[in-house]
Amino acid sequence: MRISIEHQLSVTPPAGTVHAVLQVMLTPINGPSQSVDSWSVEMPGIGNAARFADAYGNSVHLVNQARPEGTLLVTVRGEVTTTDRHGVLGRVSGEPVAALYKRVTALTRPPVTLYGKFRSSKDNRIDILHALMARVGETLGVADAGEQSQTQMSADGAQSQSQGTASGQTARPPASAADLAHAFIGSCRALDIPARYVTGYLAPGGPEAEDKLTGFHAWAEAFDDRLGWIGFDPTLQLCPTDRHVRLAAGLDGLTTTPLRIVPAGDGVAMQEAVVSIA
Amino acid sequence: MTMLGRTAQNLFWLSRYVERAENMARLLEVGYRMSLTSRREGGASEHLVSMMQAAEVDEAFASKDRVADVDTVANFMMFDPDNFSSVYSCLLAARTNARSVRTAITSDMWESINSAWLEFSQIKPRDVRGAKLLGLLEWVKDIGHQFRGALLGTILRDDGFAFLQAGNFIERADNTARILDMKYYVLLPRAKMVGGDLDIQQWTLILRAASAHRSYRHVYHDRYKAHNIADFLILRPEMPRSLIFCAKYIEDNLATLSQFYGQKQSCDEAASQLRSMVDGTDMDTIFTYGLHEFLTEFIARNNRVSDTLSESYNFY
Amino acid sequence: MAENPPFDEMYNPDGSVREPYRALAQWLEEQPDKALTLMQSDAEAIFRKLGITFAVYGSAEGTEKVIPFDVIPRIIAAQEWRRLSKGIEQRVKALNAFLYDIYHRQEILKAGRIPDKLILQNEAFCPEMMGLEPARGIYAHIIGVDIVRVGPDAFYVLEDNLRTPSGVSYMLEDREAMMILAPDLFQRQKVAPVENYPENLRRTLESVAPANASASPNIVVLTPGIYNSAYFEHSFLADQMGATLCEGPDLFVDGGKVYMRTTTGPERVDVIYRRIDDDYLDPLTFNPGSMLGVPGLFDAYRAGNVTLVNAPGTGIADDKAVYTYVPEIIEFYLGEKALLQNVPTYNCTDEEQRNWVLSNIGDLVVKEVHGSGGYGMMVGPTSTKAMHAEFRKKIEARPDNYIVQPTLALSTCPTYVNAGIAPRHVDLRPYVLIGDEVRITPGGLTRVALKKGSLVVNSSQGGGTKDTWVLED
Repeated sequence: MRISIEHQLSVTPPAGTVHAVLQVMLTPINGPSQSVDSWSVEMPGIGNAARFADAYGNSVHLVNQARPEGTLLVTVRGEVTTTDRHGVLGRVSGEPVAALYKRVTALTRPPVTLYGKFRSSKDNRIDILHALMARVGETLGVADAGEQSQTQMSADGAQSQSQGTASGQTARPPASAADLAHAFIGSCRALDIPARYVTGYLAPGGPEAEDKLTGFHAWAEAFDDRLGWIGFDPTLQLCPTDRHVRLAAGLDGLTTTPLRIVPAGDGVAMQEAVVSIA
Repeated sequence: MTMLGRTAQNLFWLSRYVERAENMARLLEVGYRMSLTSRREGGASEHLVSMMQAAEVDEAFASKDRVADVDTVANFMMFDPDNFSSVYSCLLAARTNARSVRTAITSDMWESINSAWLEFSQIKPRDVRGAKLLGLLEWVKDIGHQFRGALLGTILRDDGFAFLQAGNFIERADNTARILDMKYYVLLPRAKMVGGDLDIQQWTLILRAASAHRSYRHVYHDRYKAHNIADFLILRPEMPRSLIFCAKYIEDNLATLSQFYGQKQSCDEAASQLRSMVDGTDMDTIFTYGLHEFLTEFIARNNRVSDTLSESYNFY
Repeated sequence: MAENPPFDEMYNPDGSVREPYRALAQWLEEQPDKALTLMQSDAEAIFRKLGITFAVYGSAEGTEKVIPFDVIPRIIAAQEWRRLSKGIEQRVKALNAFLYDIYHRQEILKAGRIPDKLILQNEAFCPEMMGLEPARGIYAHIIGVDIVRVGPDAFYVLEDNLRTPSGVSYMLEDREAMMILAPDLFQRQKVAPVENYPENLRRTLESVAPANASASPNIVVLTPGIYNSAYFEHSFLADQMGATLCEGPDLFVDGGKVYMRTTTGPERVDVIYRRIDDDYLDPLTFNPGSMLGVPGLFDAYRAGNVTLVNAPGTGIADDKAVYTYVPEIIEFYLGEKALLQNVPTYNCTDEEQRNWVLSNIGDLVVKEVHGSGGYGMMVGPTSTKAMHAEFRKKIEARPDNYIVQPTLALSTCPTYVNAGIAPRHVDLRPYVLIGDEVRITPGGLTRVALKKGSLVVNSSQGGGTKDTWVLED
């Protein structure tokens, strides 16, 4: 499937900033499930940016701006062709060893009640992972679609979904895609299964409820010794399809923050990404 | 390997603060002497306040609702960490700047400023009164002499030296201009050609504050006269605290810098504008222009040299 | 506590002088009364003059202390040093190979030689370093190996310091002072020089400049600033090797390259000898609150445009829990037996060992796995019963958080004290430079516990230093 994406982010460095430095992790790379047909990142200073691969293999721009004035706008645009592999990515050369993704981070410490019952499971790993995805969805509550469009990132790059006009059906706000992915990943690691956090875009074309989640998205990938990396999207309760465009992978939402800036100021504002089928 | 902009800045301020510490001691000494000899009711306090005006610390002093008696003012000028120009603050700032550039100054310079600070920080303010105060003020002036001696005797004559000297003389020019401005009205030409006792007292104050009361005699072989005093502190090239001496010295140093780096900078122009105010003029012209207006303009141009120097050589 | 008297490096048990100390013993005998007292006070004046100070934490502005210096040198024979330095070289090569492996394929974990949790969950492991190719494959360019001696041929490695080992300025200044104080003593025997350390440091740093650096790379020393306790050393080393001493705000990143702000504008920086901890290096990648670091620095490093010395993440190799595996690490990467011994270390997660530790705690040293500088540590024989009880509880609660070692009878050297010359316990920190070649400065820093019977050599707790002489054949 050919997917077209347009996404705008903005950030306002504090007044009087002499030197702003930005890390931009908004460039998808080719992989088993996708090939990037065209992609551009537009922002002030991008012409002089350094480009490199980070520890997790993501494509990163390092951009700097002397005496930035007002708000900096970042616009990414491009087209990606995807194939549905039922979530199976396999092993990709050049990626860090899978065991790295057993490292527990501050964002990936779910309560033992979430994964405890799988500890002594004799099922095969794939079955456990599916059951775990279901359990994460049941326990945290899958978001009632349509309320995740505005994402605000705090200064340190941690993401939290702003709450929309809540439907009022549950006392607790629905878990965000980031929360669900972190809970899933943390549980995997507690079970000694390597798992990583993935950011990307979700295209429309699925059931109506899912289409409301179209845009910037987050999910997880877990490692199986036989099949390699397999995607799990606990928000949609399915393995990623050809509607998922992978942007970046890492230990957690912090290491895959799409846009960071120093000095931080008031954080990064993300517009709703426009994702459509070309 | 080119010098860091911050290093240049540290050197510049190191010298400025050493000079300022010395000037503060000198001003306090004058204020103290004047307050002792004042026979009028409230006169002592007035002298101390006008001295603080010259040091531009009068507002900071007043903000805390204090009485301007000798002990309070002396403590404020010597030891108060909240007074950014107190001897304490100046020596601390000088040492902090020196410590940041230990590799750019000689060990003799470091020794001199470091031991001065260590000794000064041991002094208990309560113990410093009367004769002890005057002794301590002498000692503070000696710190300046020692530091400059170490500097002139040991440091390479490169860009670092020029930054140090520029800081020293920009601070000194500022100080002399302020002392003159504090009492400019007693220097104005008047119909009555002989100054009264009060004027003589004020003139002595001005000359003492610039350590010029004895050298005046060497230059003028005459009793104190307003016109001569103004001429001495503004236009005499042999007087090392006069405005013309400082302005020429600053200009020369900045010229050394632009030669060293092979490029003229905006601060060279600013320095030449400063020097042009005192070069090829005489006191009559200045009095016609207005002494106060002249000094205000001089101080502004001197600040402009400091600002453009920071820009030209990337202080930050 | 050890039953036997500790090994004395100068005198044999029968009172005769050991070979390397012959000339010194004779020299001491020839000195008139009070000569040493005079030397000691001269030494203090010299150190003050040289300005070698360390800032004392928590004390008022401007109070800097001079570390006590003992005028009697410690002497190591040529053949003793050859053995030691071979062992050190082997160790630092293996540790660098280990670092390369765990930040790439992690073969040692796959082979099951080290439990993967110990590395992957370790705070000191830096995932951001994965896959990065440092110049010449070297991570730790400057290492200080802490060594103790307990017998004529018994040397143990107490700790490998791979982060930013300090103290090398004391080694250099101790020698400087000694040559002023006792020049005649140097004429009686050949002492291996230490003075070329700054030159060797510079060569080492130049040899690891990035491929796209200019022919004569621009080297800077990055310091946290004048309030850091080791600021003197930072400025000293910068001065000695002709490098610019920078603070974070002096540097900035532009187009993925690092520049320093000079009086004439930006100047490219190729190699950064940084004395700032990993966490504070770059607020963009690490601690976002850091005011000391340079935003984008790590990315510039990642992009291959600058070399950081030592690399971030080297702390994983000197972690106390990893320490016990160093002999294993040497065998795995070099296929050799370790030449230098580790101090035997008890593993409290093993029930049998833990029980033994708990019932013998009064004779043992307990160290917190992530502690350093003598903090979170208990020396059994010199601690109270209450302390023993407290650490028993701590070990029972978190056995993986502690390592336990026997109390070593550190060797002693004659030391000048108020009562005259008396034996005091010493340790040794040789400094190793790893670049185009491995360069080990002969000797190193000898720290001496000035209190009688004390085994704590830290300067914060009454320790001093001695000049360390390696004799040449």
